Amino acid sequence: MGETFFVPLQPPWLPRFNPDLNVMKRLIPFLLIIAVAGGAAAWFFARSASTPSPTTANLAPVPTPLGPAEPGAVPPHAEGPNGAKVTIEEFGDFQCPPCASLHPVLKRMEGEFGSRLRVIFRQFPLVPAHEHALAAARASEAAGLQGQFWPMHHLIYENQKSWSSAFDVRPIFEGYAKQLGLDLERYQRDLSSQAVHQRITEDGKRARSLNVTGTPTVFLNGRELPFPSLTPDKLRALIQAELNK
Amino acid sequence: MILFALAALVSLIGLADALYLTSEHLSGRSVRCTLISGCSEVLSSPYASVRGIPLAAIGAVAYFAVFSLAILAAFGYRLAAAVLPLLVAVMFVTTLWLLYLQAFVIRQFCEFCLLSAAVTFALTMIVILIRWQINKFRI
Repeated sequence: MGETFFVPLQPPWLPRFNPDLNVMKRLIPFLLIIAVAGGAAAWFFARSASTPSPTTANLAPVPTPLGPAEPGAVPPHAEGPNGAKVTIEEFGDFQCPPCASLHPVLKRMEGEFGSRLRVIFRQFPLVPAHEHALAAARASEAAGLQGQFWPMHHLIYENQKSWSSAFDVRPIFEGYAKQLGLDLERYQRDLSSQAVHQRITEDGKRARSLNVTGTPTVFLNGRELPFPSLTPDKLRALIQAELNK
Repeated sequence: MILFALAALVSLIGLADALYLTSEHLSGRSVRCTLISGCSEVLSSPYASVRGIPLAAIGAVAYFAVFSLAILAAFGYRLAAAVLPLLVAVMFVTTLWLLYLQAFVIRQFCEFCLLSAAVTFALTMIVILIRWQINKFRI
């Protein structure tokens, strides 16, 4: 039984009891394994070297702006006092999943740093990739005209999963407006108003003047933060570092 | 055994795929949304990382382990041959879970993730074939 069990596992090209070939058996598989490991590592590091590797120790320098930075919508949507030592400016798209993940992180930072931190939100809906992004941006701006930008902003982000793949988002956002006690008639009118359109356009101009190409893009006191540093621990350290300056 | 060599070869496809996904994840390219390349809902979901480690990296390690075990088994190492199906079984179950997440939770698929699933299914079938072959030779 031992013989027949071993037969399929002993490859025919390795005759047994041949000491030289036993060396081959020991050596070749490990050589192959090492070769693949080496090749994989080499490819991986070559690829990482050719793309800028973002680390917190080495913040990506802000690319040269194409001209003076546009001011964006005025006044900006900001949480936190005007004179705060640290300002975080986020360009966000409401339908972008990483932006939704960033939302609780920023909220947490606001909670931890209080009046030392100012968080500004700029609209940067990625159209046409995200089909509801513009509607969401408009909804938040319309709510903003009634002084409820941030509550609407929170509602939209917190419920992203539930409306992101819906067919028609307008009734959903209207539901949020109702929940917030907004004047619904005015909200509806404002959705397609010049004022709302203007704000989104101005933010878009600011984004382009700052070379923003994706979301979320976050600036900390004017310096763009690489995406991997947007975790609670790293962000906290970065904000603290700015405070200590 | 040819089947072990085949498993080794197939696992290399999985390894290349997982390495590519890992580098995409780490570079932040697919993980945030851009005007040009959009974003992968799958790779930017919270399920794409385990405690800060990209899932793709874990997959790469797994495929490399499969490759190593399969090569050793092809050269007659019995222990490797015994462990290989266990590893593939774990990967198979994990793949089913990840497919479920993409289909019903994230509700979006990522092509390279589907490729990895295909590779894992192929490895599962190879391992089953090996088991069947061994059984054929048993008394």
